[in-house]
Amino acid sequence: MRKFFPVDSLARDSRFNQITMSQSQADPRSPLMASDTEKRPKANRLQPSRPDASDAARSLMHGIFVGEIQALEGAGRTCHDFETGTEAPFALKLDMARQAWDEARHVEISVKLSEWMGSEIGQYAENTVLFEAACSTDPVLRLAGVNRALEGLAIDVFTTMKDFGGIAGDPYLEFCEDWMLADEVTHVKMGSDWLRRITENDPERRKKALEFQSVVDKIFSFGGTRSDSQESPIGLARRFRELAGFTDAEVEDIADVSLRALEERKEFTRQAQADAVEQFSAS
Amino acid sequence: MADPFKPRAPFAPWDRRQLPGMFDVEETARRVGNYKWAEMKLFEALGGWIATVPELDVKMRLGTHCYHHAWHAELWHKRLPELREMNPDRLTVPANDAMVEFVAALTEPEAPETTIEKLVGVYRVFIPHFISAYTFHMNNTSEITDAPTIRTLKLALQDEFDDWRDGEMMLQSLIETPEEVDRAAAHHAKLEKLMLAAGGIAGPGSIGNLPAVKGN
Repeated sequence: MRKFFPVDSLARDSRFNQITMSQSQADPRSPLMASDTEKRPKANRLQPSRPDASDAARSLMHGIFVGEIQALEGAGRTCHDFETGTEAPFALKLDMARQAWDEARHVEISVKLSEWMGSEIGQYAENTVLFEAACSTDPVLRLAGVNRALEGLAIDVFTTMKDFGGIAGDPYLEFCEDWMLADEVTHVKMGSDWLRRITENDPERRKKALEFQSVVDKIFSFGGTRSDSQESPIGLARRFRELAGFTDAEVEDIADVSLRALEERKEFTRQAQADAVEQFSAS
Repeated sequence: MADPFKPRAPFAPWDRRQLPGMFDVEETARRVGNYKWAEMKLFEALGGWIATVPELDVKMRLGTHCYHHAWHAELWHKRLPELREMNPDRLTVPANDAMVEFVAALTEPEAPETTIEKLVGVYRVFIPHFISAYTFHMNNTSEITDAPTIRTLKLALQDEFDDWRDGEMMLQSLIETPEEVDRAAAHHAKLEKLMLAAGGIAGPGSIGNLPAVKGN
């Protein structure tokens, strides 16, 4: 078995359809792709009052499900890809094995929740961007990308979903999300602790890892899907991020990056629509 | 009420633990180092394979079992300094070169069509050898002086039996044709021969040496 597994080789059964980030962002069903600023809803936050709340929640839950599979695969690969001692400390690999078990449970939970919410495996496409962040050849960058950025996003998503369950009167959903949220806070904290410990005497490596995290954070902001703005379906879970070891300044940075991603996405959409109108007029 | 000052035997009548054991501290440390190395190789392999198997239920079980074996490696790692080995890495080694060869062959399958081979290696060869080596150790070490090792062996064995059952059931559900039975058997035989050459998880003597019987 080779070291460092490419994202396009992730093994799936016939129900899964994998897509790239750009394909996902170009999906016209996204609320952020509304035809003009006036028609774009001012609040996209996932709440039961949204007319499309059921389908949006099902879609998000399927996204959680495939995200958990990739997180499971990423944690497992970190156990395998690095030599113990010379490339990654033994204790770090033990943490990653623990995380693999946690992610396996999260896959189990999200499969059952998806069924509970009335959707099927493969009903929505699988965006493989999450595993891409787990492909770095430096374990510190991998921890920054996966444990701090990706698992940080999971904190935001689970908080949103837990709140949705609470408001919608679905104790089953709220209960499960609460448990998964506890695990994710642990995973982010693992990432924060290891990042600090391994790069304690290597400021250059730490800087590189934090830059990588920032890039991944921006990608994981999904073009504005997650931010403090009510225009974003997923909010930023500031309190749980603090519990997970993020400093106030780091949370503010993520908030800025997320808002910028939202604005860039809106600008991209405006430009794409203007180009389309121009092309249509010329034809 | 019983007199609290009445002398009692230090060992109750139901406590039949014996002092003698087959292994001294040095031999115990050597075996524990071999166990840790083997458990590490197993959890690394299980972790690496998660992304390579398309079967969703298998993917999830590998993630769960990956942690079990990492935890066993951690328990053995913590036991080594208690056995006078202050540098646990020094004894975290394979029993011999044949064991290294076995692990290389075990981890060779990667393609998504080779889930049967992956599971056969783990659940029909590697884990059964853990069960036998751990059982032999548990039954032959001093029940009093080496109680901490026995406790770890019992905890690990519980996982090994549970994981073996999971793995065997996954295999039985995946093997659907006579050709697949042959595939599983061929891979089993290949790996079992390598394990035979290694002599078991802790090398020759992993499950003791049968004494010769007069007349044979």
